[in-house]
Amino acid sequence: MKDILNKTVDVAVQKFGAEYAEVRAQKLFKTMLTLKEERVEAAKQGIENGAALRVLVNGAWGFASVGTLNAETLENAASDACKMAKAASVRLKNPIKIAEAKAAKDRVSMKPRKDPSKISIEDKVNTTLIMTNTILGYDSRIKSCTIDYLDLTGTTYFMNNEDTYIEQGKLYIWSRLLATAVEAGVFTYSREEIGSTAGYEIFDTETPEIVGERVAERAVKQLKAKPSKGGTFPAVLGPNVVGVFVHEAFGHLAEADLTLSGSVLLDKLGKKIASDIVTFYDDGSIEGAFGSFKYDDEGVPTQKTLLVKNGVVVGLMHNRETAEKYNTKLTGNARAEDFRFEPIIRMRNTFIEPKDHSFEELLEDIKFGYYLKNFRGGQANLDGTFQVGIQEAYEIVNGEIGAPIRNASISGNTLETLLKVNAVGKDFELWPGRCGKGQTAFVCDGGPHVRIKEVLVGGSA
Amino acid sequence: MVALKQEEMQGLAEKTVNLAQRKGVDEAEAFVYQGLTTNVNIERGQIAKSSRIIDRGLGIRAIVNKAMGFSYTNMLESEAVIEETVLKALSSAKASKPDKDWHSLPTKKAFSSVEGTYDNKIVELNSEDLVKIASTMLDTAEKTDKRIFPIDGEAGASYLCKAVANSNGIEGFDRGTFIECSLATIAKAEGEVTPVCFEFNIERKYDVNPEWVGKEAARLAVSALKAKRTKTKNSSVVFTQFALQQLLYFTLINTVKADYVQRNQSVFKGKIGKKVASEILTIYDDGLLDSGIRTWKFDGEGVPQQKTPIIEKGILRNFIYDNYAAKKEGKESTGNASRAGYLSTPNVDATNFHVKSGKRSPEELVSGLKEGLLVYFLQGAHSSNPASGEFSVVATPAWKIENGEVAYATKGAMLAGNIFQVLTNVSELANNERKIGQLVAPWVLVENVKVVGK
Repeated sequence: MKDILNKTVDVAVQKFGAEYAEVRAQKLFKTMLTLKEERVEAAKQGIENGAALRVLVNGAWGFASVGTLNAETLENAASDACKMAKAASVRLKNPIKIAEAKAAKDRVSMKPRKDPSKISIEDKVNTTLIMTNTILGYDSRIKSCTIDYLDLTGTTYFMNNEDTYIEQGKLYIWSRLLATAVEAGVFTYSREEIGSTAGYEIFDTETPEIVGERVAERAVKQLKAKPSKGGTFPAVLGPNVVGVFVHEAFGHLAEADLTLSGSVLLDKLGKKIASDIVTFYDDGSIEGAFGSFKYDDEGVPTQKTLLVKNGVVVGLMHNRETAEKYNTKLTGNARAEDFRFEPIIRMRNTFIEPKDHSFEELLEDIKFGYYLKNFRGGQANLDGTFQVGIQEAYEIVNGEIGAPIRNASISGNTLETLLKVNAVGKDFELWPGRCGKGQTAFVCDGGPHVRIKEVLVGGSA
Repeated sequence: MVALKQEEMQGLAEKTVNLAQRKGVDEAEAFVYQGLTTNVNIERGQIAKSSRIIDRGLGIRAIVNKAMGFSYTNMLESEAVIEETVLKALSSAKASKPDKDWHSLPTKKAFSSVEGTYDNKIVELNSEDLVKIASTMLDTAEKTDKRIFPIDGEAGASYLCKAVANSNGIEGFDRGTFIECSLATIAKAEGEVTPVCFEFNIERKYDVNPEWVGKEAARLAVSALKAKRTKTKNSSVVFTQFALQQLLYFTLINTVKADYVQRNQSVFKGKIGKKVASEILTIYDDGLLDSGIRTWKFDGEGVPQQKTPIIEKGILRNFIYDNYAAKKEGKESTGNASRAGYLSTPNVDATNFHVKSGKRSPEELVSGLKEGLLVYFLQGAHSSNPASGEFSVVATPAWKIENGEVAYATKGAMLAGNIFQVLTNVSELANNERKIGQLVAPWVLVENVKVVGK
């Protein structure tokens, strides 16, 4: 493999005049299951190979992806990528340069306690059937459940013309559980995801029974929930909602490509944007976490990146192109979903650092507000407008948790809202998820419970 | 990588089905997909990138003892890998559980004829041609107003083809082309940054208008400046096609899928023939729409696509079916098995979800309103409750309508409610139909929507 990749990179540089050339190759195996109620809709397996060529010619990017590792095809792809780059460079105003990266030679293997590729499909079907049976057996008002399961294993190879060659094992396990409950014309919907880069042992702690019960219990509880009021209220966010809030409302704006595109953080580096008790990290080095890896898809080592320290923006997430623009050090945030995609700046495991408040202390001063415990989707805009949908929430009345609320969401502007964070809890949870930015990345986000002085709640009551 | 020809794709599909039968499956289906895409990208005000992606592969469904296994590969050069893939489909089926409701794979029917889905000019486009389209878009946008910044855009051409064969005698091939240009902009002035404003064209024939896209993307961004907060109140809302698509995709479209209905996830269960929406609302799922984005001769399992009435004058008429859901009720598939290339099994989905237009122009729709909100995009529509249809989203960018005119941009207004209430409250449809994703619709005026502001 190394020889083929080496030759491909050489051709791009020597024959077609690339200033920079890299090739990523992958051999991947997937197992997927979909269960709808007790029905195993299909047990699925996939084998795929492919390579992606990326080059800089005359300061423009060229990219070619092919689903093969055949040497001749890769050389053609190198030629294609260089032609693409030349065509694009015609209208270039500012040629693209990339920050210097230390050459690395490494072989990284995954060391799961339970390797999913060695576990039979029958066992995987059984695990998902236990989830199904737990959910459907929880309460007769549960009417449907859908379970998706995915494991992905394989190897990725990275080589560039700067003497970096990395072979890296890949391992992801993911499952999503959806349940709906119906009673007297009220439909509720509940969702859970689990994800890990450790191994099948995730199911030893997040057992199918525990996760199944969690999703079922929420669907049933929501039957008695009422719509929330619309307006501005004090709120306590659970770690799961805090995670999505950090990811959506702040994280995307601190991806340096989006910052440069004009996100509200563009002129905020070194400035205070949040209250003193707010510190954010994006960390790719948490062992086994869904957003962790050793090298990113530009061959740059991952790290723990400090983004906001005591309310002040101190860093952004970079690839080699944006690190050069900012004249700053690399952070290892360039990720590609697979060989069909080019690497772009993505988050890894993003969280707010815990402080000192207990959950009770966070609640005690609130006369009326909302406890937003669990999210369902979120989205941000470059102007700092964020929205986080909520699938589980409660009223807070006189410092105590009150009646359940359904289908609320919170919104606001990142810069205004972060200054309104007035207490940060001492607990900590990290939740797996999938983030879409034209391609999918596996990530985690989280933090402790957090209190916000006031936030806009979109309710229909 | 050389593109596979029609004969090669069909040959591979048929050969694979035969091989699976020899290996002892009860039924088998092979789906061969090939996509060639060339893109030119605009990033932060300049054309800086071009890419070419060739993706092709084979997906196999094998049924053994009423249990389904599926496997795929993109390594089509190797006979050994194809055999291994067949064996994996077989072993997956054996590891799975029998499905008492399994009837059979679909049987052969004449394919529909479709118009305007393939244009050889698109196949022949190269990156230089696409650079021209992207440049036109970029130049027009920048000329329109100095305050705008084009952050992101694309000119792209795709050629997709698919072949299907199954052990019930289905065999088919279809090909299609797509050309697309899009531009996302923001405007900046006096410390204010607008939300991202976006315009695009997508067509099956070589007929896009990059000047219009550039101009509109710029015009929207500039008019989103000087945004003000709104008050919380119930209001008339005009949804543009973008906002409507976002709202319907996560709610109504799921509600009319037969598998959702069968699985008690749809509030439309038992409501065929009943009034579910305003009587001015008529919606078809039209898999044969001329030049439709989702128009093909056959669906993801080789069943002819068709035009199915969903809602006529507010009355619910039909649900959409794939073969499995249809056979479960003793019905025929409506040709709605959708498939994401070769990577997975088919799912029930809408083709071209066509909301019939009204008579008045969009300008007339706005000019008839004393007060209201014009909503271009929604943020957070994917967090809607797909079972109940309840949503709570941000309208951005959006504009306040006062005395029949678009008065000013609004900031951070939320909309909260239930999609089925929205459908009932539709009071008028404009005549400006366009295609966005799977939706084909005009602007829609809805009364009495809860707007949450400050």
